[in-house]
Amino acid sequence: MSYKPFMKKSIWVILAAFVAGCTPTKIVVPLEEGQVQVGATLGRPKINSGSLPLLGIYAAKGMSESTTAYGAAQLSSALFGAIQLDGGVVKGLRPSQGFTPGFSYSYGGNVFVSARDYAVRVYPEAGANMFWQKGPHILNVSANSWVDPTWFLAEYGRGQILAPSLGAGYRLRYKWLEVQAEYKIINPTREIHVPQAYVPSTLGLGGRGFYWGAAINF
Amino acid sequence: MKKTLYIITLCLGIASCADIGSAMFFGGSGEYNFSNADLDTAYHIDEEKIHLFTVPSEDDTIHGLFLGDFSQIENDTIIVYLHGNGPSMDGFWSTVAVLANIGHQHRYGVVMYDYRGFGKSTGATQNAATMAADYDAVLLWLEDRGLTSDRMVVFANSLGSLPAGPAAAGGSRITVEKLVMEVPQSSADVIMQNATGLSLPSSMITEYNFDLGQDMENYPGELLWMHAEEDNVAPVETARSAMRRHEGSYYREEVYPNVGHGLRWDIGNEEWTRVIHEFILN
Repeated sequence: MSYKPFMKKSIWVILAAFVAGCTPTKIVVPLEEGQVQVGATLGRPKINSGSLPLLGIYAAKGMSESTTAYGAAQLSSALFGAIQLDGGVVKGLRPSQGFTPGFSYSYGGNVFVSARDYAVRVYPEAGANMFWQKGPHILNVSANSWVDPTWFLAEYGRGQILAPSLGAGYRLRYKWLEVQAEYKIINPTREIHVPQAYVPSTLGLGGRGFYWGAAINF
Repeated sequence: MKKTLYIITLCLGIASCADIGSAMFFGGSGEYNFSNADLDTAYHIDEEKIHLFTVPSEDDTIHGLFLGDFSQIENDTIIVYLHGNGPSMDGFWSTVAVLANIGHQHRYGVVMYDYRGFGKSTGATQNAATMAADYDAVLLWLEDRGLTSDRMVVFANSLGSLPAGPAAAGGSRITVEKLVMEVPQSSADVIMQNATGLSLPSSMITEYNFDLGQDMENYPGELLWMHAEEDNVAPVETARSAMRRHEGSYYREEVYPNVGHGLRWDIGNEEWTRVIHEFILN
């Protein structure tokens, strides 16, 4: 595998990466050209002594050797009357070689539509991944940020433009199958608050949780 | 583009409307064993002044508790206590006993009831409409016994602020002239946004779109707001923003440092009753 030379101009991606997603990192290492991956993800952000089950499905396709496009839907949101779709592109910058990590970045967007009043929110996102790949094993450290272009709609001036997340995970990628596990720190720039519930945080900020995924490759 | 529209339409179709609102209500079973054994002797209630009652609310039955003599309803001040998010009014027995004894023993009549799905009240609390119907059912019971607006004090604790806000803003058959908001929430949108860190409206997960700031703007009567700086259930910053939108005839706020959501227990009955009694007598 040989990606295009590392794009030094993509510093913005790294910077923007210190931002967050409520959904798991779907693709870290681009798929092979023409390869299709269909999978399901289960997010378990922690709350009280348990966790919330955030179930999602996604599909991805290798558009070229270094570019993979994906689209996803969050089923848990649909259960409560909101459509949550996201889509984007992952681009490989440099493959992993030995102990030298590979890099990829991603960009895309998330759309929420309320089935009750058809309120719409759109959150662009960008992220960066550093990974080590040896055979079917992939270790990754990822940073991602959602951008809230309607932060001013949050009540009483409590909106924030960036919603970052940091994660580290492991993936096992075989020809026909890929499974993943990831630990994420979500939104560490603000306090996450749910009435009468305890949200485990990092130094009093954000939330955290495990995310799982399984996919079939075609 | 066609594909995108198709996907969105399909998702709208499959998006069910389960409401997280009901999951946020902690209604449970109730025993209704209102006993003086559970009270400090200073706040005992004579047994003949403890009355359980029921009223119909649409297709459901609301269970309530009245402390005092029924004759008080016709000629004395009555406190309508809207309880917080506990399984039933059992958990608020000691609080209403203190309220009934503010000033001197059996000074005030106090009425409290369980919302649908709380305690022995049937059905399930779902939204502003069910909350308003239950409140109205109890107000009708009071109105039939002679209560008038000049002798009614509505006291809302935490979750109780949700029905209290619209009632104060004109939705009460007996006009609210005195309102105590103790550790209130602020709005459904604030809860959603504090939980996600995003500018998401509450309509994404619930139809219960309450907005106490708007209600306070529309409430012309007297308001006492009591809150705790360290409240981790109803954040003080957003509650302050909502309560300060009140432009009615009188406003007082009492915010206590180093205490939490259980305000009365944290600041003590002496301070708690002092502030409330001053407001009632104002």
